[in-house]
Amino acid sequence: MSMDRTELRDSARKAFGASSATGDAAGNWAKLSEMGWFMMTVPEAQGGLGLGSEAHAIIHYELGRALVPGPVIAQMMLVEALAATGQSDLLDRAMAGGKMTASLALPTEDDVIEAVPDADVASHVLVTRQGAIRVVPLDRCTIAAQPTWDETRRLFDVRPPSASDGVVIAHGQAAEQLRTSLLLQMLLALSADSLGGAEAALAMTVDYLKTRRQFDRPLAMFQALKHRVADLKIAHSAAEALLWDRAAGRPSLALMGSLKTHCTEAFRLIAEDCIQLHGGIGLTQEHPCHLFFKRAMLNCALGGDAFHWEEIAGRAVMETTG
Amino acid sequence: MSAALETLRENVRTWLAGNAPKDWREAATHEAFVTGQRQWFGKLVAAGYAIPHWPAGWQGGGRSLAEQKVIYEELARADAPRLLLSFVSTYHVFATLQECGNDAQRARYLPAILEGETWCQGFSEPGAGSDLAAIKTRGERRGDVYVVNGQKLWSTMAQYADKCLLLVRTSSEGAKQAGLTYLLMDMKAPGVTVRPIHQIQGDEEFAEIFLDNVEVPLAERVGEEGAGWAVAQATLSSERGLTLMELGYRMRGSMGLLTDLIRKSGKAGDAGVLRELGRLSAQVDATCALADRFLHNRITGAEQVGDASIVKNSYSRTLRAWADLGVRVGGLLEQYRKPITFGDLNTGNWMADFMNSYAWTIAGGSEEVQRNIIAERMLEMPREPKSWVA
Ligand SMILES: Cc1cc2nc3c(=O)[nH]c(=O)nc-3n(C[C@H](O)[C@H](O)[C@H](O)COP(=O)(O)OP(=O)(O)OC[C@H]3O[C@@H](n4cnc5c(N)ncnc54)[C@H](O)[C@@H]3O)c2cc1C
Repeated sequence: MSMDRTELRDSARKAFGASSATGDAAGNWAKLSEMGWFMMTVPEAQGGLGLGSEAHAIIHYELGRALVPGPVIAQMMLVEALAATGQSDLLDRAMAGGKMTASLALPTEDDVIEAVPDADVASHVLVTRQGAIRVVPLDRCTIAAQPTWDETRRLFDVRPPSASDGVVIAHGQAAEQLRTSLLLQMLLALSADSLGGAEAALAMTVDYLKTRRQFDRPLAMFQALKHRVADLKIAHSAAEALLWDRAAGRPSLALMGSLKTHCTEAFRLIAEDCIQLHGGIGLTQEHPCHLFFKRAMLNCALGGDAFHWEEIAGRAVMETTG
Repeated sequence: MSAALETLRENVRTWLAGNAPKDWREAATHEAFVTGQRQWFGKLVAAGYAIPHWPAGWQGGGRSLAEQKVIYEELARADAPRLLLSFVSTYHVFATLQECGNDAQRARYLPAILEGETWCQGFSEPGAGSDLAAIKTRGERRGDVYVVNGQKLWSTMAQYADKCLLLVRTSSEGAKQAGLTYLLMDMKAPGVTVRPIHQIQGDEEFAEIFLDNVEVPLAERVGEEGAGWAVAQATLSSERGLTLMELGYRMRGSMGLLTDLIRKSGKAGDAGVLRELGRLSAQVDATCALADRFLHNRITGAEQVGDASIVKNSYSRTLRAWADLGVRVGGLLEQYRKPITFGDLNTGNWMADFMNSYAWTIAGGSEEVQRNIIAERMLEMPREPKSWVA
């Protein structure tokens, strides 16, 4: 991470504080738009800040760390789509914090669009179907709330009225390209969100082991536990190095997919051990362990799972190596 | 990538095409290995690619991180032999003298390394492995020499070494770390006997060193008497961190051995195998990224206690996973014993590579010891109380 990026991180950290779900979705959203983050990756000529994907990753890392609720990943995808296709009116609204959303599942050819965050309060949704990308007003869609285990995020199934509804912003080759760049963006965001969450969960666990006493000593004194924590630290550090490396480059879809898998799996590993190492309290809703765990599990499933991306990554290695 | 880097890559690649030894994997005898290593090192030095991690002023030194990466990537791509014989000299000795040596020592030993002088590391002993500070080999000061008596163990390539990084006990007062002194010993000095040991894959890669009234001049001491523990940390930090950029990129360059095997064994369409390959490649890339970051932090002075341990454990596990996938994909045929390639970690002789991967989970401080360092020194978890009484 470069030096000017540390500034961005520090301001994010200041805004969202230490880890633990703040729960105040509206307040967080207001903060995010005040700080200009919805316009972060938009070129300056279009009224944005013109920052690249590394900055994008930093923000999501911090949002994950603080378990910030809300449809930020979806919003950023919409902003990217509108900017790329020159939809300035909608873009201005979205950059100013007008809530719009997109699916965080891999696009399918189904009628129903799955895993759309905050669809009940957003004005528009991004729809990829039949070789075209459209922005569809949500008041014309059928929306079904899907309660999810991860309570830091709200997901909906959305059914647009007809296949041809809304404004087409890209089709054919252009739609294919846009779809890829949106997918890349989502995968990077999920990776960063995961490692932010993992960092917070790990720090919380280390602190807990230092204070909790059993057998007349702090748990942190037991080597069996130290070694597990060290393993988690190694898993996090390796995934984080990969994250910043790929965030600064221009990875293919296969590489971004494998990054997403690597990072979400690291989060899952850490969140699972976080529960185990907390003992009974880790299994309660009073303690934040479960929030990290559920967010990790959802991140593993969003944007295509490990089965999907690891096979693609393996195929890519076969094609490019040897 | 910048034009200058592209040019460097072109130059390295062209040079390697004309100069990298081709038949080195067939070098069956140790004599052939040693001769091959010496010649190859000499060529690399002359071309300016042997020591990219040394500072400016040395032949090919002063390379940026990005340039180092290019060189290691190209060495791996060309399947050039790893410089095992010069490994301790160019990494451990360099880092130790750079950080803790004096000008006279640097002026005498660093140029000699480039001329082919080779070194081994004499730290471990029968009773002092993970507990390195428990070493018993004694250094007794007599006039202007230390007289050394004792035994060292597991010293890689000691049978071919000219010089030795030697850790000895000069005092048994106070904390055990406080009584250690760091010496530079001539392996040809009277009283030094080396006995090679057979390693798990059947090779003799490390050796025992017996020391019988060996005289080491006072001028060959690194740091003050009693300051050996701190000097040893410089050596170990280099072994655990600095070396890993090269090793990481070499492992990445060896992915081709794995994809070749997958094709040959007819498993290229097997989704399970592809997934494992995909997962492994992310792990390999993560290790390379981690080593890059370590070096960057080291160069900019931002290295923290435990960083080197993280890189080392990540590398050693990934190396194990790499070889393990080869063993499993290769199936029964990998259980037929094949002649080994001396001194390399990524050969595609999968069982040999798998066994050799333990070199990195044990040597240089075992995985468990690195975990202790990460937990206790980096995450500041308390040490266990010393309540045990023999
Ligand atoms: C291939 C190879 C090359 C080597 N090259 C060199 C060399 O060039 N020069 C040199 O000086 N040495 C060298 N070594 C020695 C190496 O540094 C030691 O083998 C290593 O430090 C482990 O010490 P040990 O073998 O005595 O094992 P032990 O210390 O006896 O350890 C045995 C097991 O117990 C574990 N263990 C030990 N202490 C603890 C603890 N506190 N907590 C938890 N687990 C613990 C270890 O991790 C290990 O699994 C080499 C070793 C190998 C395998």
